[in-house]
Amino acid sequence: MEERKHTSSHYEMELQEIKNGLIYIGVLTETAIQMAMKSLTERDSDLAHKVIKDDDEIDTLDTDLEERCIKILALRQPTAIDLRFITTAIKITGHLERIGDMAANIAEKAIQLNEEPKLKPYIDLPRMAELVGEMIKKSLDSFIGNDLNMAEEVRRMEQVTDDLNEQIFRELLTFMMEDSKTIHRSLMIMQVSKNLERIADHAKGIADMVTYMVTGESVRHQSCVSDEKEPA
Amino acid sequence: MDSDIIIKLNKVNFYYGQSRALTDITMNFRKNKVSALIGPSGCGKSTLLRLLNRMNDLIDGTRIEGEIFFEEKNIYAKDVDPVEIRRKVGMVFQKPNPFPKTIYNNIAYGPKLTSMNTDDLDTLVEQSLKQAVLWDEVKDILNKSAMNLSGGQQQRLCIARALAMKPDILLMDEPTSALDPISTAKIEELIEELKKNYTIIIVTHNMQQAARISDETAFFYLGNMVEYNKTEKIFTNPDVKHTEEYITGRFG
Repeated sequence: MEERKHTSSHYEMELQEIKNGLIYIGVLTETAIQMAMKSLTERDSDLAHKVIKDDDEIDTLDTDLEERCIKILALRQPTAIDLRFITTAIKITGHLERIGDMAANIAEKAIQLNEEPKLKPYIDLPRMAELVGEMIKKSLDSFIGNDLNMAEEVRRMEQVTDDLNEQIFRELLTFMMEDSKTIHRSLMIMQVSKNLERIADHAKGIADMVTYMVTGESVRHQSCVSDEKEPA
Repeated sequence: MDSDIIIKLNKVNFYYGQSRALTDITMNFRKNKVSALIGPSGCGKSTLLRLLNRMNDLIDGTRIEGEIFFEEKNIYAKDVDPVEIRRKVGMVFQKPNPFPKTIYNNIAYGPKLTSMNTDDLDTLVEQSLKQAVLWDEVKDILNKSAMNLSGGQQQRLCIARALAMKPDILLMDEPTSALDPISTAKIEELIEELKKNYTIIIVTHNMQQAARISDETAFFYLGNMVEYNKTEKIFTNPDVKHTEEYITGRFG
């Protein structure tokens, strides 16, 4: 059923602006991840520096959006779905801001890695980056469309990123055991992988909040069905 | 009847002449709780409030169907004295309406008029004013006219006057809509205090007020009860879409 509009068109507009603001920050964070990964795979440190610098804009937008949400809480005193929407928006912008920080962390590691010979071709990391980019996009789409199925899909995807992260760790461990000269680079790559895995956690956090917004039920500390391991 | 329940409405329909103001209302009010009735103008909430102490009897051409039980007894049964009901179910109105008498006599008037034991009127007056958190402000001017009090004080005086009759239930019809924010806050504080000893049913257009002070909220629309739920539930995640549209301002 289509949502009826508020009697106050100004209020309606303020809520729409919050929505648009979140989408914009979301697009910036997705781009930041892509650029950070490109700076790593194409050994482009200038691009990495740009990612770090651009994170300031995400921080500013996050602060601004949060302030607007607080203003709505104070002045409009939202209830029911509006209240859940605003609290969700505050949480989402926090998640996106952290994702931006992690993209900057990846860029910092790229700068360091680019100064040393390439350890190995990057195969799983770009896959993982693509996956987390898709998770952010889907989590925000689920927010815009009140789409519980899509939110659930994001929760399932998070498990895949955990597995990929584990696989990358194991692979790098063998590098380090075989040749101690690779330890520094391996640890750097591990941190890139860890950052991507944490970005996926934040995308799942967004999806969890969408479920709360739509249903009023908190699922934040529940594992999704696919998380449960088969008995050995 | 569940011991927790003080008023029970069973399939209540109410008519002003040919026009039906309430349709098939079945609901329970719980003892020592604050229940809020909300809804747009003309939805029937004040009509329902006035049914609970038979105030609508005073309006010509009205008719009620169904039953309203107050502690097991149908208050519309033939052998029930409406005056006795109104003593047990007190009412406070939108505009403060003190009698043009002294503060003391505003409180003492009702008990003196009825056959209540009025041996110690002074104590009753003091008690009632204390319960309405007005005593400290008026204890030295009890013989002055109530008309000289501020709007907020007059409204608390009206609450004290209702309490002097030792009711079980207090009905409040938009009791703060004519008051400034500070007087409103005092009345709200008072309501929270009074629910320890009384059951309070309040009609309000101020939804934030309903959210702040009530335990349960009923939403009415066009004479129907749309949703009756815990206040917290109504204002965070109501069950009925129509309730949500009303409380979030998607209406009209």
